[in-house]
Amino acid sequence: MIELINVTKSFDAQQVLKELSLRFDEGELIVIKGKSGSGKSTLLSLIAGLAKPTSGEIIVDGKHISKLPEHFCSSYRRDNIGMIFQKYNLIETLSVKENILLPLVPLNLSEELLEKRVAEQMHTFNISHKADELIKYLSGGEQQRTAIARAHIADPKIILADEPTANLDEVLSKNFIEMLEKMKSKNKTIIVATHDPLFFELDFVDRIIDFDS
Amino acid sequence: MNLQLLKYVIRYIERHAFKNTFLFIVLTLITWLLASIFFITNSMKYELSLGVDALPDIVLQNTKGGMRSTVDERVSEHILEIPGVKSVKGRVWGYYYFDAESLYLSLVGVDIFEPQERDSLVRLVNENEVPVNSMFVGEGVKALLARNYYSDYFNFIKSDGTKKRINIAGTFTSAISLESNEMMVMPKNELRDIFGYTEHEATDIAIDVANKTETPMLALKLQQEFPNMRVVVKDDVKVFYENIFNYKNGLFLALFTIVLFTFFVIVYDKLSAISSADKREIGILKAIGWRVEDILKAKLYEALLISFNAFLLGLVLALAFVYFFDAPIIQDIFIGYTTLKPSFELIFVLDIDTLFLLFVLIVPVYTLATLIPAWRIAIVDADEVIR
Ligand SMILES: Nc1ncnc2c1ncn2[C@@H]1O[C@H](COP(=O)(O)OP(=O)(O)OP(=O)(O)O)[C@@H](O)[C@H]1O
Ligand SMILES: [Mg+2]
Repeated sequence: MIELINVTKSFDAQQVLKELSLRFDEGELIVIKGKSGSGKSTLLSLIAGLAKPTSGEIIVDGKHISKLPEHFCSSYRRDNIGMIFQKYNLIETLSVKENILLPLVPLNLSEELLEKRVAEQMHTFNISHKADELIKYLSGGEQQRTAIARAHIADPKIILADEPTANLDEVLSKNFIEMLEKMKSKNKTIIVATHDPLFFELDFVDRIIDFDS
Repeated sequence: MNLQLLKYVIRYIERHAFKNTFLFIVLTLITWLLASIFFITNSMKYELSLGVDALPDIVLQNTKGGMRSTVDERVSEHILEIPGVKSVKGRVWGYYYFDAESLYLSLVGVDIFEPQERDSLVRLVNENEVPVNSMFVGEGVKALLARNYYSDYFNFIKSDGTKKRINIAGTFTSAISLESNEMMVMPKNELRDIFGYTEHEATDIAIDVANKTETPMLALKLQQEFPNMRVVVKDDVKVFYENIFNYKNGLFLALFTIVLFTFFVIVYDKLSAISSADKREIGILKAIGWRVEDILKAKLYEALLISFNAFLLGLVLALAFVYFFDAPIIQDIFIGYTTLKPSFELIFVLDIDTLFLLFVLIVPVYTLATLIPAWRIAIVDADEVIR
């Protein structure tokens, strides 16, 4: 369902991705490993339509997203992609609940439906007890669960996670892996970019792609 | 209307309470100042036009050695014989310097048997007989005298230096607040006594013309008839008043320019500076699936909430300031365009065009100043913003 054909991405003179061709199927959990600067985050940005490849094509569900104008990219992202960022990218001055429902705001849903979906997510990712707390007062693990709930709330087909455990201790990292399993059981296509060895041993990971080789 | 988006925007304004309160106050002040200026100029214009309309068509003034002098009102009979003249009247009026307040009061003499050119005087003379030794005063004058312990009478100093006591019989108002407020109206002969005039001496002669289009011709005829006199035509006075008014308007224009300049500096500042936190927030919103138009819509709500409410509040404040409190401080610019005024009241004149101009100046300009920088950030790859 996600296909990259001869994708090259350069920043000025630096070529980060070179003639990359990859294919991810629906419901797959893929781990992308590689050292810092190898282009993992760049790949996720390209798949999310946040950036455009220098050359080559990216096709998601038959849509050539590398060729879509910005307007369609945003719609595509809204309907298909849930992103969990390395630094979470939560809005510090909003509460947990407000952050989680943010992706649904432009959809103009009814208050009840919104409440229901947020409650579901907060319950699934065990953050209900902090619903009205501002992000800046949360622990790292709580922030992360908020970020996951936010990535999940619009029910995207594809979850992109960029070094999700980089700031977490071992217990929380294990927690995240449990969440990951939960999401995979809902048949999401999940791509995790990481150099955390914890991910390399998991039995529910379908594929590991090494960017260093 | 997306209620969820509105909720986000309200939270956004809350989260940046300091900045938004500041902007709100500045916008309110600017609207208030501009609206006040517009309201005052509109009211002044209206009042002056009323005042000029109340003037007689032609005024005859005597001169002596090039200076203004008094006339003998008995020439009226002769003037009345000129065809086209509707009415002629010798007027007794002038100014009285009131030491205690350092200002000039207008004194007007009336005679109940004569027609009055001013509506207020017509009403006054018809409804009340002005008794001998008494006067009617405008409300401004009444308050002014009361302040100086003259509640029932006033002691005028006559031209020969002796005192003359005139009782206050009552007050009057008229639609033309500017002139009526400062007026003291009494029988002609009392005023003659104060001014030191002789029995038939008048300040000038007021002539009303039957057919207004014949005024210039009549003026010419009068000039030939009385070569030593000055013939003042209403239209000339009008031009004179308008010139004074335009000068005052110029002062306001300067004030207006300063206010507008300030506004645009603020707008420019808003345009050029968008905080890194705001940039990041826009980047995040895009990354989680907001479209550029969603972001712009949020910014539109935000700008409208602030600027429209500030506009309304500024307008209400200006209305209260100008028409309820009679524009303290700013009125000083206007007062004294002929003499110092004992009091100042503005007539309510609402001009929709002015309101619309003000609205266009404030709300859309501010909205664009909010939208443009947000749009510039929103169209950049979110990737770069949140990296
Ligand atoms: N917007 C950009 N402008 C210029 N250079 C960029 C940009 N984005 C990425 N790069 C460069 O591309 C290279 C790959 O970056 P990327 O973030 O994809 O690496 P990464 O594998 O995610 O590394 P890390 O493990 O440190 O997160 C880096 O050298 C980086 O400096
Ligand atoms: Mg990275």
